[in-house]
Amino acid sequence: MATHGDGTHKEDLKIVLKDIGQVYHLKKSADGSREFQALKDINLQVRAGEFVALVGPSGCGKSTLLDILAGLTRPSSGAVYIDGKEITGPALDRGIVLQGYALFPWRTVRRNVEFGLEIKKVPKSERRGISDHFIRLVGLEGFEEHYPHELSGGMKQRVAIARALAYDPEVLLMDEPFAAVDAQTRETLQDELLRIWDETKKTIIFVTHSIDEAVFLADRVAIFSSNPGTFREIVEVDLPRPRHNSDIRSSAEFGWVRHRIWELLQSRPSQECREGGNIVVKDAISPSATI
Amino acid sequence: MNYPLLNKTAAVIVFLALWEILPRFGLVNPMFIPPLSAVLATGLHLVENGELVTHTLVSLERAFGGLLAAMVVGFPLGLVLGGGFPRLREAVGPLMELFAQANPLILAHIIIFFLGIGQSARIFIIAWLCLWPITFSVIDGIRSADPLLLKAAGSLGLGRVGLFTRVVLPSSAPTIFTGVRLAAGYAFIMLIASEMMGASSGLGWLVAQGQENYHVTRIFAGAAVITTLAVATDGLLRLVERRVVVWKVNTE
Amino acid sequence: MSVTGESLRRFLLRWSGVAVFLAAWEVAPRLDWIDPYFVPPFSTVLREAGVMFRDGTLGMHLVVSLWRAVAGLLTAILIGMPVGFLLGRRLVGVEQALRPILTVLSQVNPFSLLPVFLLFFGIGETAKVAVVSWVSLWPVMSFTITATRNVDPAQIRTALSMGISRLDLYCKVVLPAALPTIFTGMRVGAGLTFLILVAAEMLGSSAGLGYLVHNSAMNYLIPRIYAGATFIVVLGFLLNRLLLHVERRLSGVWEAGAFVTGPAGPAGAARLPGPAVSVAALGAVLIFIVFGGLEVSRINREAASYPSEALKHFGHIGQPVDR
Repeated sequence: MATHGDGTHKEDLKIVLKDIGQVYHLKKSADGSREFQALKDINLQVRAGEFVALVGPSGCGKSTLLDILAGLTRPSSGAVYIDGKEITGPALDRGIVLQGYALFPWRTVRRNVEFGLEIKKVPKSERRGISDHFIRLVGLEGFEEHYPHELSGGMKQRVAIARALAYDPEVLLMDEPFAAVDAQTRETLQDELLRIWDETKKTIIFVTHSIDEAVFLADRVAIFSSNPGTFREIVEVDLPRPRHNSDIRSSAEFGWVRHRIWELLQSRPSQECREGGNIVVKDAISPSATI
Repeated sequence: MNYPLLNKTAAVIVFLALWEILPRFGLVNPMFIPPLSAVLATGLHLVENGELVTHTLVSLERAFGGLLAAMVVGFPLGLVLGGGFPRLREAVGPLMELFAQANPLILAHIIIFFLGIGQSARIFIIAWLCLWPITFSVIDGIRSADPLLLKAAGSLGLGRVGLFTRVVLPSSAPTIFTGVRLAAGYAFIMLIASEMMGASSGLGWLVAQGQENYHVTRIFAGAAVITTLAVATDGLLRLVERRVVVWKVNTE
Repeated sequence: MSVTGESLRRFLLRWSGVAVFLAAWEVAPRLDWIDPYFVPPFSTVLREAGVMFRDGTLGMHLVVSLWRAVAGLLTAILIGMPVGFLLGRRLVGVEQALRPILTVLSQVNPFSLLPVFLLFFGIGETAKVAVVSWVSLWPVMSFTITATRNVDPAQIRTALSMGISRLDLYCKVVLPAALPTIFTGMRVGAGLTFLILVAAEMLGSSAGLGYLVHNSAMNYLIPRIYAGATFIVVLGFLLNRLLLHVERRLSGVWEAGAFVTGPAGPAGAARLPGPAVSVAALGAVLIFIVFGGLEVSRINREAASYPSEALKHFGHIGQPVDR
């Protein structure tokens, strides 16, 4: 039931971000501790089955927000609700796909896909059927017993997607997943992602710095501004679906939406994050530092 | 809450304090591990009667003599093999790999047939051991010079000699330094072993004597000096490296 | 795989240096360019090695040395890996505080410790195994610290996002991800181990390859010195090659795991051996430790029953004979 006292009244709201703020205390030797406001006043409501893209200049809180959504980082203020319940940590109701693939090189494609199922303690006999299904879904049948080093970049990213889908999360969080592949592969993967989204009806939050990618994929595009990271505006992308396997990228409407977002991103003089501060922030949130 | 320097100092102090306290209160057998103060007293005594200085100088002469000889031979050898003679390098590669495996202490018996048992035999042993890491690192350093850099420098009209002295050598310096530091570490390890075998002077002999006469504090005093020398040599080489290879700091 | 003309030529070129060296070794003493008493021709040395191989001398000393090396390395791994894991991931602050002490301890000369170990453990195997473990402990530990700390954060984030338990994170992500680097530490440790072990066996032992050479020198069995030395060199060479091969294979598979764009590699180019191979290798090591240990203690008992020159712990190199 989604009748929480925090304004999450609608039945079909999947994710609610409420007043998310993130402050880091930077250590400075001379003048004591300094604060760095990474995120401020983030509010967003995502319907079940919706595809939302987050765009903005690189390194300005998008990935931090995704970490908060994944439950890897706790926000300094505000809360995230999924199906009306506040999240307290990582769980298998959200799948994550990262830019660097993060495949496990010592595992075959199949065993990579089955990783989340192992953690979920799904019996071995069931795992095989599930991994078969998702490997087929991402178009990698015949490569089940290959190791990641035998695959191309695009194929690796398909494995990462299959791995995130395999344990059947309702929400898929994707952090610049196609940034490392070449342009042609990237378009193919975008088509594939939309097809998979159609078939699986997941709710997807997709971080990217490519306006084209955001417009092509998403129902809504949330535009980030930096310092502190907050939403400048959320733009509805009113383009017809299905968009995959179509030449919608060259249509006039596509161009208009694209131009509008581009203008929004340019409207204030671009405030890139201070690089120094950013590096410190990355260290502070890296989960590996706390383990 | 994070004062790394303080933590490090504290850790060292705790370590030294434990070394003093544990044997004093009989928590470890002082016959085997004497307390720090006893070791220091022995060390002081050895300094006062001049023994320590003599043996240290003898050992240093052997170690640095060997290292220096290895550099004198290893640098040109590495330059020749790494620079211009790929087929020669191919041909002697496995042979050098085998030579590098030849433990100098085993060779010691053979070397002594030729050089007798004196100082030159020991220096030769150290030099043999140091020669291979140095030669290999010079070859590696030269061969791994960035071809893009070479192309860029070549297009500026730099000749072969200029390319070599201005591009290849500087870019291979870090690798060469790594090799020299490795060699210096080996030199100290093997020097002590060779001095324990049939020498009549040197720090290794001092330690071996301590063992034969059950002077445990002597063993520890000798070991402490040997360790200090090894750490100091490595630190010195690092210092020189930082002076010579200033640009490496930026890339790390 | 077929040997093409090109690769055969390459092979011949690569080993031509060794061939020339061996030929010189054979010819020079025969033509009296060097004294054949001090440097016997290679064929004589080879014949001596054959004799030692047939009467079991070589095998016996090989078993003893290998057992010490494996036992020492295993001890170093059993201590160094868990400690490295703890210092690398759980006790990062402690590791930073301990770093100067660890650096100094790793530079402590193993031979200056040998007398202490001898006092501690007596003349038996333990002192030698302790020296060997001491030497390989530091590379294993420091490489483990680096390896566990440098695991791809994206791999860890992915695993954490699935709500993985801490134990599973260590066993299923951190340990396998760190494996190739840890293996490099083991290879570095093993290389040093072999060097130091042979020297330690010359200093105080009644069996082992180092003792074999030392004892031959004491008794002026000159072809034996060369035969033993050659055997040690070839063994070290093969050991080094084997470990390098395994290491390259591991890191070849691992490195391509993340963030490499490019075409797919040839299918099945570098497969990992199945779990059966690892289990078999582990079993072989354990069997060797147990039965090798029994054999070593038997050899030690036999050596003790007839006192020899070598039982003096610090034997001295004999004066060169008069010509």
